[in-house]
Amino acid sequence: MPRFPKPWSKKRGKRILGHALAGEAGELTFYAGLFLIGVFGFSLVLINEVAPESVSQVPTDALSTGLGTWIFGILSLASMITGGVTLLYRLARIGASSERRSAIAKMAGSIEMIGPAIDDVQGLPSVPKGSAITESPGERLTYRLAVEKANSGIAGPATLALLWSSAWLVLLAVVVSGFWNGQSRWYLAVLLVPFAMISVWSFRFFLNQFRQFAGIGPTIVEISSHPLIPGGQYDLFISQSGRLSLKRLTVLLTCEEETFYRQGTDVRVDRHEAIRQVIYKERNVAVDPQGPWEQQLQIDLPDNVMHSFVGTHNAIRWKVVVSGESQPWPSFCRSFPVVVHPPDLSLKHSPR
Amino acid sequence: MNVTLCNDDGLYRAGGDLSAKWRVSRVPLDEVQGVEVSVLWHTEGKGDEDLHVHHFQRLAEQQLRRAGLADEQVLHCVLPATPLSYHGRLISLQWCVRLRLFLANGREIVAEQPFHLVSEEMVRPHSASTDRVPVALPKPSGVARGKGFEHAPAS
Repeated sequence: MPRFPKPWSKKRGKRILGHALAGEAGELTFYAGLFLIGVFGFSLVLINEVAPESVSQVPTDALSTGLGTWIFGILSLASMITGGVTLLYRLARIGASSERRSAIAKMAGSIEMIGPAIDDVQGLPSVPKGSAITESPGERLTYRLAVEKANSGIAGPATLALLWSSAWLVLLAVVVSGFWNGQSRWYLAVLLVPFAMISVWSFRFFLNQFRQFAGIGPTIVEISSHPLIPGGQYDLFISQSGRLSLKRLTVLLTCEEETFYRQGTDVRVDRHEAIRQVIYKERNVAVDPQGPWEQQLQIDLPDNVMHSFVGTHNAIRWKVVVSGESQPWPSFCRSFPVVVHPPDLSLKHSPR
Repeated sequence: MNVTLCNDDGLYRAGGDLSAKWRVSRVPLDEVQGVEVSVLWHTEGKGDEDLHVHHFQRLAEQQLRRAGLADEQVLHCVLPATPLSYHGRLISLQWCVRLRLFLANGREIVAEQPFHLVSEEMVRPHSASTDRVPVALPKPSGVARGKGFEHAPAS
């Protein structure tokens, strides 16, 4: 049975489903349609504004108010510009090979007005510069590493818990007032139960985040030299504050492969730990608020490991990871990115 | 289409020179619109592909007539310091010399000759590496003739 050609292509792992040309044709059709709809809408607006009497066939009832005409005009113009510009961009990409497009992009990047890429300045293309890492001098060692931005904040859970609880209370007030006035709203009363469960869950989630935020103090990681070179030895200073009774504390050096890929309309991320080197591991660690837990450690970076790499969709990231299992506070895991250069190409910096 | 690298083992030092010879044979000059020769790296694996051209040369029809399609052409370039070749579980970073032939009927023929960009230490003989080392370079194909595959007309 002949299969109907799909106007899109999709990546499944290493395979591409559908024909790439069909995907491009689908995109071109969509943007051409967007452009033509914009032209049609904008023409209606122009006709309505400039010569409404002379063209009696045009249905101008919908555009009779001034505000409606302007909104319709702006939307049509936006549709026309978006469709037209994207259509031209896609058409320009069709005629050229991927190598030629990359070469043109590289040439554009080297124009003086635009400026060369940051990584090209230091002579290591596709290697992150890591200047943010070396901005802070340390107290014990040369650099204080910046913590990777935690994705768990406290504002989000607090807002969720507050808004959901407020909505539940408003619903409760409506139900109670209904019973009071003899107009029972049973369907709303039934809805109160699942809503209350969500409210309790959001409040518990907020409490969990708050305990983690308040109970676990800051983690300080300092390193003797940066960037790291394969085969090198580096001193590492770790300090953990707070009032904690940790069941287990682990300090790791990891190398992580990170890939981004599109699956339909979603952008997905996949990560794989290629190297996991345990630098320090200890059970039953007590952290006192009067004196933080401190330890001086050493990193032995293996020979022949891959350097840090950042592409558009793929990356290889090195980081120092400090994780702890604690009681009664929730467990924590904090990452401190570092940059590994290839051997024989080290750049020496010092903030001192 | 034939691409030959100057190093038989396909190992090239980062920042070093690369020389390659290429030739297109058994294709009449009248049927060729142009040739693109590029030295590039690209990623393979689960994620979307990243591609970056380090050296690019395009020969139009007139230039091909002057140079002679059947004659051996030489390509020289200085390789960059990074990114080095890498073969991991999710990502593989591969360097290659790619030859793309544009035919008059709209078809394209591509030939690739992969090579490994490695650090100075890897070019030198060294001690056995540990199990944790993610760089596990596959043995280069060693075939002088690049793999050829055809593409449908792009437009």
